[in-house]
Amino acid sequence: MTALPEVGTRRFRMPAASLGAHAGTRLSVAILVALGILTLVALFARLLAPYDPVQPIGALNLAPGAEGHPLGTDSIGRDILSRTLIGVQVSWFSSLIIVASGLVIGGLIGVAAGVFGGWVDAALMRFTDLFLALPGTLVAIAIVAALGYNLQNTLIGIAVVWWPYYARIIRGEVKSFAARPHVEAARVAGASRTRIVFRHIVPGVVPTAIVTASLDIGNVVLLLAGLSFLGLGQPAPAPELGADTARNLSQLLSEWWVPVIPGLAVLVLSLLSNLGGDAVRTLLAKRR
Amino acid sequence: MFRFILRRTGSAVVLLLVLSAIIFVLQAVSPGDPVKAYLGANASPEAIAAKREELGLNAPLYAQYLRFIANLLHGDLGQSFRTHRPVLTDLQSFLPATLELVLFSFVVAVLLGVLFAVSGSLRLKGGALFRGPLLLLAAAPPFLLALGGIVLFYAQLGVLPASGRGVDSSSPTGFVVLDSIITGQPDAIGLTFQHLLLPGVVLAIAPAIAIGRILRSSLDVTMSADYVRTAESKGLTPFAVLRRHVVRNSIGPGLSMAGLQLGFMFAGVVVVEQIFSWPGIGNYLAGSIPVSDFPAIAGVTLVLGTVYIVTNAVVDILQVAADPRLAA
Repeated sequence: MTALPEVGTRRFRMPAASLGAHAGTRLSVAILVALGILTLVALFARLLAPYDPVQPIGALNLAPGAEGHPLGTDSIGRDILSRTLIGVQVSWFSSLIIVASGLVIGGLIGVAAGVFGGWVDAALMRFTDLFLALPGTLVAIAIVAALGYNLQNTLIGIAVVWWPYYARIIRGEVKSFAARPHVEAARVAGASRTRIVFRHIVPGVVPTAIVTASLDIGNVVLLLAGLSFLGLGQPAPAPELGADTARNLSQLLSEWWVPVIPGLAVLVLSLLSNLGGDAVRTLLAKRR
Repeated sequence: MFRFILRRTGSAVVLLLVLSAIIFVLQAVSPGDPVKAYLGANASPEAIAAKREELGLNAPLYAQYLRFIANLLHGDLGQSFRTHRPVLTDLQSFLPATLELVLFSFVVAVLLGVLFAVSGSLRLKGGALFRGPLLLLAAAPPFLLALGGIVLFYAQLGVLPASGRGVDSSSPTGFVVLDSIITGQPDAIGLTFQHLLLPGVVLAIAPAIAIGRILRSSLDVTMSADYVRTAESKGLTPFAVLRRHVVRNSIGPGLSMAGLQLGFMFAGVVVVEQIFSWPGIGNYLAGSIPVSDFPAIAGVTLVLGTVYIVTNAVVDILQVAADPRLAA
């Protein structure tokens, strides 16, 4: 559209809490190991959860540390640890799916725009900028509200507004790579366009794409939790971190742990993803 | 400059049309029936058919879209399923509270962001004690911050209220702070500020970090310029260098990020308003979601989306006014 929105919008999704920007290799590896463990925990959440997350199994409103319920129970006696574990599973894999969808859609559009140039580039980037300048969160809310409340529609709603950021960044990288000497050399040597794109340009764009994506996961975690908090997610009684906080708000001043623990789980997820994004960036920068 | 304003305004209008088209399409696929919103679930088939005709629902799609746009321009956003009032009437009564909260919060965000950037860039002693916790807080979901704030400042310390605006929202302009200043009620001003404080700060944390980080990196770049070293070596104090030589040359990116964040805050305000029972448009949206009140949700999306798009356009124009090189 105009030159200006890019100034900010290209960087509009800041890594919210980049604590380890200058972390060393060892710390970075440790953070990634922690993320790996988190992913395993999320993967096997059903096995790790001590109880059925939707069945009342204990006394009501047990405080954390109670016998058999390390994180306590909620107002109808469900085990908070089990609910939180499943909630983490849902949040974590949903966030990964969104970021992956952004990478794929944005990547295809960005590469196509960068490689073909000319009117294809102009048209695709116009389209991208249009989406980039819309209020993404609000549009996502409206999409989910129109399609109906469930996790699948929430993912669709966010995915629709999430890719333009990736398209912009990847297109920029493709452009800058296409102008490098090694691509010129390949062209002179008679390599086909397909070969140049997939052998000489796309591999060069991958590191930036990975760093962008890993720094973005924390944003998605927070957005998903926010939408879930508003009721735009799995309907009750399915465990979901944002929704579990919202549904138990009235207990804040009597049994604080019931609404607060799911929120703390979101904090841990978002913090770990932000640290992980920095770690990926540090490690990739060192490799170069 | 004039050409830029024209172009930027034009692109904002295009964006508004796209936003309205998206809402129109979503409205068409949403399961709720607008006719029943007007007539209730027990209306006779004849009455329903008549109302369908009146609302233009039998016309072809493009005609319906034109009618939708015409209605929007007349301020007709349809009827809420929940309150059975025109959505516009609902929004008019809730918008001032939201504007007040967001603007207050924006000021807080800019102050915190500047403090973050300057303390980092000048390596002020103890600055890390401020930046570390702020970074940690920015990783938390806003609803968790809100709950923490309520537990600490309301339940434990008992120094701040946890819900509402403290006074009746139906004051003359709807902006209670403004009203209490106009009518000269110092008690009311204090009360409304107390109520603004928790939600305002919670909403400000994430934007503050975004502004602070951009500003800090542009400060750092300027600080390493040769003319700054010259200024330092002629004996100016760090603050004098900052004020006279650095700020003007590095404020641009911070301004553009601030404008962008102001736009985002209009979306982020929904969750915060709900938790603090702030009688604003976000709370209205939060209340409309559980009952699938699509006309209300669409109305809020359109109004907050318009505020967002207009804010961004104004910020862009202000930036070019400050630095004409950006118009290129």
